[in-house]
Amino acid sequence: MSQLKHFLFRITVAVLFVLVPILGVYTFVKAPEWRLWFPENVSSYGDEIDGLFHTITWMVGITFVGTEGVLVYLILRFSKKDASKANYTHGSHVLELIWTAIPALLLVFVAFSQMSVWSKIKINLPDGEYTAENPFMEVYGSQFDWRVRYPDADKNFSGADVIESAFDIYVPVDTKIVFRLKSRDVLHSFFVPKFRLKQDAVPGMNIPVWFEAEETGTYDLICAELCGWGHYKMAGKVHVLAQDEFDAWLEGRREALYSNGSED
Amino acid sequence: MNRNRHLVALGAASIALAAACQFEPTIVELHYSLNEEAIQSNNLLADDKNAQEHLSGALEFLFGTATNPSYVVLPDWRDEEFDPNNWGYYLLSDEEFDALKESNAWTYRVQIAAIEAGDLDAVEEPRYAGDLWARFQSLVADAPDDLDEPFDEDDPEWSYRDELIAVFESYYPNQRTTADLYRQQCFHCHGAEGGGNGSTADFLNPRPRDYRPGTFKFTALKDKAKPRHADLVRILKEGIYTTAMPSFRRFSDAQLNALADYVRLLAIRGETEILMIADFDPDEGMVPELLQENYELVVDRWRAASDSMIEYDGDVPRYDDHDAAERITRGEELYLSEKAANCVKCHGLEGRGDGESVKNNPDDATDDWGDPIKPRDLTRGVFRFGRRPIDIYRRIYAGINGTPMPEHFGMQIIDPETAETRNMTEDDIWDLVFFVRSLSDEKPVVHTETEEHGEASH
Amino acid sequence: MSNAAIARPLGLDPAGTVHVTHDHHELGFLRKYIFSVDHKVIGIQFLFTGLIMLLFGGLMAMAVRWQLAWPWTQMPILGKVLFPETGGVATPEGYTMLFTMHGTLMVFFVIIPLLTGTFGNYLIPLMIGAPDMAFPRLNMMGYWFWWPGIVCILLSFGAQGGGPAAGWTAYPPLSTIEAAAPGSNWGQNWWLLSLTFVGVSSMMGAVNYVTTIVKMRAPGMGFFRMPLSIWGLMIAALLQLFALPVLTAASFMQLFDRVFDAGFFTPPDIIINNFSPEAGATVDSVGNATGGHPLLWQHLFWFYSHPAVYIMVLPAMGFASDIISVHARKPIFGYKPMAYSMAAIAGLGFIVWGHHMFMSGMNPSVGLVFMTATMMIALPSAIKVFNWLGTLWGSRIRLNSAMLFALAFVAMFIIGGLSGIWMASTPPDIYIHDTYIIVAHFHYVVFAGSVMAIFGSLYHWFPKMFGRMMNETLGKIHFFGTFIFTNGVFYMMHQLGLAGLMRRTADPYAYETYAHLQPMNQFISICAFCLLGWQIFFVVNFFGSMIWGKRAPRNPWKATSLEWETPSPPGHGNFDKELAVYHGPYEYGVPGVEADFVPQTQKCEHVSAH
Repeated sequence: MSQLKHFLFRITVAVLFVLVPILGVYTFVKAPEWRLWFPENVSSYGDEIDGLFHTITWMVGITFVGTEGVLVYLILRFSKKDASKANYTHGSHVLELIWTAIPALLLVFVAFSQMSVWSKIKINLPDGEYTAENPFMEVYGSQFDWRVRYPDADKNFSGADVIESAFDIYVPVDTKIVFRLKSRDVLHSFFVPKFRLKQDAVPGMNIPVWFEAEETGTYDLICAELCGWGHYKMAGKVHVLAQDEFDAWLEGRREALYSNGSED
Repeated sequence: MNRNRHLVALGAASIALAAACQFEPTIVELHYSLNEEAIQSNNLLADDKNAQEHLSGALEFLFGTATNPSYVVLPDWRDEEFDPNNWGYYLLSDEEFDALKESNAWTYRVQIAAIEAGDLDAVEEPRYAGDLWARFQSLVADAPDDLDEPFDEDDPEWSYRDELIAVFESYYPNQRTTADLYRQQCFHCHGAEGGGNGSTADFLNPRPRDYRPGTFKFTALKDKAKPRHADLVRILKEGIYTTAMPSFRRFSDAQLNALADYVRLLAIRGETEILMIADFDPDEGMVPELLQENYELVVDRWRAASDSMIEYDGDVPRYDDHDAAERITRGEELYLSEKAANCVKCHGLEGRGDGESVKNNPDDATDDWGDPIKPRDLTRGVFRFGRRPIDIYRRIYAGINGTPMPEHFGMQIIDPETAETRNMTEDDIWDLVFFVRSLSDEKPVVHTETEEHGEASH
Repeated sequence: MSNAAIARPLGLDPAGTVHVTHDHHELGFLRKYIFSVDHKVIGIQFLFTGLIMLLFGGLMAMAVRWQLAWPWTQMPILGKVLFPETGGVATPEGYTMLFTMHGTLMVFFVIIPLLTGTFGNYLIPLMIGAPDMAFPRLNMMGYWFWWPGIVCILLSFGAQGGGPAAGWTAYPPLSTIEAAAPGSNWGQNWWLLSLTFVGVSSMMGAVNYVTTIVKMRAPGMGFFRMPLSIWGLMIAALLQLFALPVLTAASFMQLFDRVFDAGFFTPPDIIINNFSPEAGATVDSVGNATGGHPLLWQHLFWFYSHPAVYIMVLPAMGFASDIISVHARKPIFGYKPMAYSMAAIAGLGFIVWGHHMFMSGMNPSVGLVFMTATMMIALPSAIKVFNWLGTLWGSRIRLNSAMLFALAFVAMFIIGGLSGIWMASTPPDIYIHDTYIIVAHFHYVVFAGSVMAIFGSLYHWFPKMFGRMMNETLGKIHFFGTFIFTNGVFYMMHQLGLAGLMRRTADPYAYETYAHLQPMNQFISICAFCLLGWQIFFVVNFFGSMIWGKRAPRNPWKATSLEWETPSPPGHGNFDKELAVYHGPYEYGVPGVEADFVPQTQKCEHVSAH
């Protein structure tokens, strides 16, 4: 009877431990269906980020299932009540070498495979109409609003004809948008999940950021760095418009600057 | 070890977990509290707890509670077919209603797409819209399998599907749902009764608006008129830059309109309350007639058609107009002259908001809400009501309600150039607008010859 | 300098000499239990205080979870205490305070003190065969310097404006400018002072641990004959010694910024809540110094706080190794690689702080260096996992509570370690930085990892500490629930993070991106409430066993290391017999010997020499 009890107990423990990788993998497989997965990507570099993520996910997933599987096997296999002694060994030099060298190679591979994408997104700005000195727009974080400023026709960011607005950011599709990210007060972070774009806005710094949206639509802009009690309120939307729609919008805003107030 | 005990414990845990998953927290009824400051100003009422309770009850009769607000409809209004409970919704023009539908269609596009595909199970519950969801579900309960069947026998064109979509597209939150939304998004600053005294309020600079006096700073109106619906919605949409009031555009137009309605309810409640407190006479108690009279008075103020919007008939002058430079000079003279606009008194010589009145005045000079007065630093380029010329024009034209910033249009001034006494004109105001903007804009006049050297100056 | 030279002036016998426990002089209650210089009493003092703080931190987590599951509703029980003014509905600034204090309490008042304070104090002299710590009075001061820290952190709750609310990372300018947040008033000052006291306390401990380990080992106890627990504790103490001064300096800089307007971290031209640091509070006042840089704080903070992560896990790794070896009845696999990899983790731990700052605006090229270093730190962690698995291979596992928790530590550490590779990689980190995937990652390491190891260690060393055995049935029930609910709470946070959910967001569901995540958050919250509730089994078992538990023999687990050579609990001076160490601590199942273990004090020619 005691034997049976111990057997059942071992099984229970093993099931508990084995459920971790099983449910773990299951939830990851099901996650896209449950919408607990990356939202669709609409930026030009997002696929590369997702690709790297997936590569790493496969690697860590296999390691995860492998190590947890071995652990469960060992627990189940070696937890019998057994009067005999355990294998007496203090280790194996060869094994240590193997399981040092293989992960080392893999990790170096992972590290190096990240570098080109990172330098493309964050280190270098793309060639195009807009540059760090001549950006498409300026975005300011301030407690608890996103403010965007479009230059006037002479590319000045201050002056009468600068267009400034809260919350909504309009950009044209398929254009490499370089913008400057600033903060008026504390740290904020400009996060558009569907662009795979995140960058902290730091007061005193003027950080050039770029993205290229490949699909028109409206996307959530979220503050990703604690900026005070109203952090959760700091929302925004990025509207990606076709070029002609964007031009029309910009023209409309320029005219609205000199509205006589009758349509308010 | 004892396996049974393990199993019992695990079983109990799973039952507890299953039961807990069904859990939904309940909302406790919240009541409005009285305006303590106003009560303190009337000694007779301050000492009379009984009368305070009567007042509280009377206000609750008129306006409901913070979880379930609703206006009492007076008999006169019924004849006029006016129901303040549907204030915003019925005053919508056709265009505004179409815009609202468009905004709803966008907000609920996922749900509408699911209905169009006929997959009613896939329709997700929208957040902050309990009444919408209840209405949708009651319709789904009697929905036929084929959604193309007509909803109403008399109108074969209008299918069940159309009706289900219309629930989402023509959605306008009821007051109860709006009060929920207010409690989740506005309550912690503006307080349950809109007193600007929520838990976060003490810390904010400037303090959140107290709606109860019924004064709102930023409107497009003259004559200190009550704000229009559009004025309130505009603040909700744009936020007030450099204050803790953010833009709430992440909510749909319908929700923002309904929130504006609710703010109006709080303001009307607060104003009625203040009138009742001021009129309180211990010998007579709370007179129902007086209550109705005050209530009607306040509502009528808000109902008054606002034909007092400030519009400029001509073309708004621009910096690249040929007389822009002169306008700035003239504006400066008006700004500086004591006998003219005398802006310098508060806003200071350089427009930094540090004029004599601030320097001489101790900090206890306060506005209508009891907050310290801070003239705007005009060099920052931050204009809370908006930075379009017409916005600044309106501020100078009509002043700012509840503050010492006066109405300038028609103000009697001595012309700084001709030394004649005259009234301020629209043109004078534009001159001031030009000057004020030149304080913060780096390159205001673009066509002058010094343009090339502009870069060197900064 | 000999052991004796250090120990004698302190009134101690040199290490390894016989010290028989006759209580010649009776100490008063106060000196025996309150202001005790005995490392065991101090260890237990740390334990009780730490467990109480764990309860506080846990309750705060529950309040956070309530808000995330049912935002802006009346919070039962806790709401009445935390938010009386709103009838129990969380306020936004209250929410920021909650997660700030949850993080602070858990890091500085629970995990670090429980691992190093409790077990460091209790185990080091016992395991290396010393009669007490090298500096017993310093040790006592270490504990009592923790108390001003606790008092300060409690005072910060009551400060005007409420407790600190800038996150446990306290990034300026949010934390330095009073106008920036309600919690950045006196609450933040108390917080900084508290951190300083805790730092001093940790420093005293660390000096003591290192000195004791280096100078007071029993005869024959070479460095490579020390149990891995001691390795873990020593390396953690070295990390404290090198990293803590930086945090202390940074805290003082922040305090100077706040009190004297020094402007180390304040950039020019900012206006927060209509307060301009240059202009000062009023028009006439002299402005503050500005021209500092917010990123400076981040560098200094993470230069400490990244090593702190290893302070929070290295001792746990050591304890888990010991527990696994004892209850698997098998020598630890690859003792030296285990010790070296701990040292490697610690060494690399000093050059990876920048991986917290990939999105911070730091020069992105530097990010590549930090990424590579961070990847490399996964290597020793992997080696450790493989060695644990190697230890289990061919073992004879006793599935008791201590072992179950130790095995759970390994299983959970694998998850926490592997998910680190995602965020070490700079491009994926663009997306997952500061999302719930990060929350899942560090909770898997620190809660599912270190706290599991702490539970395991308590079950393992409880007989030594209190002289009684803990109840196995209750222990196993405690384990099952804890294991299930821990995973219930933290696993799905990975997926929430993949869906983009940001941490520290009081009401995420107002965003379209997050609106559908509420049911999952409700599930997580319910699991979290169950997890906390389940600890009742531990509380009952822990306190019940102290009174009603079966009396523990000297060596209930048939373990080899020195702490089991003493009575349970050990008397003053620890060892009641002559000590000499002949071999390493993991001699189980030695062939040719009748018993399946050979204590370190027993000479045995069958033990393979090393």
